[in-house]
Amino acid sequence: MSAEAAIRLTEILLALAFLQKSVEHCVGLPDERRYFLPLAALSLLLLTGIESDLVCYALLVNALFILHRFQGPYNGGSDLLGYLILVCLCLAHAAPDPVWRDYALAYLALQPILSYFKSGWSKAIHRDWWSGQALRDVFDFSAYPVSDAVRARFRVSALLAPMSWAVILFELAFPLALLHRDALVVALAMAAAFHVANFLLFGFNRFVWIWVASYPAILWLQARLAAAGVLPWTG
Amino acid sequence: MIRSFAAAALNSLRLLLPALFPSWRFFDVIGPSPRIEVAALSHPDDDATAWRAVRPRPDRLGAAGYLRTFFFNPRWNETLFLVTCAEGVIRDESDHTLREIRDRLRADLNRDADGTAAPWFRFRIALLSRHDGRVRRDVVFTSPAYPTVDGAGS
Repeated sequence: MSAEAAIRLTEILLALAFLQKSVEHCVGLPDERRYFLPLAALSLLLLTGIESDLVCYALLVNALFILHRFQGPYNGGSDLLGYLILVCLCLAHAAPDPVWRDYALAYLALQPILSYFKSGWSKAIHRDWWSGQALRDVFDFSAYPVSDAVRARFRVSALLAPMSWAVILFELAFPLALLHRDALVVALAMAAAFHVANFLLFGFNRFVWIWVASYPAILWLQARLAAAGVLPWTG
Repeated sequence: MIRSFAAAALNSLRLLLPALFPSWRFFDVIGPSPRIEVAALSHPDDDATAWRAVRPRPDRLGAAGYLRTFFFNPRWNETLFLVTCAEGVIRDESDHTLREIRDRLRADLNRDADGTAAPWFRFRIALLSRHDGRVRRDVVFTSPAYPTVDGAGS
């Protein structure tokens, strides 16, 4: 995948993610509309691809207003990754030459990879995750389970320890998928399925939209590394 | 004017920094979890006794509910934001987090009561946590009384 294609595909997916959250905020408190109607309009413009560099800069200004309105991210990690993608797109558009553009795109690709690996590592060093106790606590008393049926079904499940280890091992192993394109495609499909599972259990719908928006950059990075001959296989 | 705009811009850039250098530690430690409860009052000095959970989750969500909320889930995402605000209230009782909770509960009360809401309300935050293998519940914050209609009574 070329850098231009990765940037354009990222813009399209980011615009869809921003449109999705704009629509949600337009039925929130009345004052939120003054921030999210412009976001919806700019996202539609970004979808068209017309002057996308200028639209990205305008979206960044809008993001600063929204951050000020809520005094931080409204929806935790999903907002953080959205802003990170946006900043990297702005840097890629503003880059004086292709080398700096590639650095911006590589940083964008690196962060979601790190998001999996660091999340896996931070679980792996906590003993409660080894036994499934941490996951049991999530279902038992955290605010996240999306319904009482989900909470009741999983709080006593024998699957909690295997589920914990599956998540830890998948997250820790994710960076290895960069070694071959086919492995990366499979890993990204599994990662998307993981986010969908988090939506089904915890209602984190925005995370699905925004994490998928970062995948073109990861695919580009893998292709770039393979083309540079730094990978042991040429996939 | 210029000074306050510059301060707001600097604050926004400061708030952007965690997005540029994220820590990415999802669900590493499952800490105490806040629950918000609300009580309607006839008078601001009344003792609140009839506390009820704010936005209790549904018994179950069917296939149609999942399909809809994948694309459009404002209520649940706002509920998650209320959890974040409750954690902020416990941490430092900032005006911002108190105001966010107050305004959203006020909107809920007015929408649910359809014009017949009690004139005042109070909210409180309970923390659920695991101690000695059991889940315990501690009330850690109770708000002052707020008018249910914005601008009324205060």
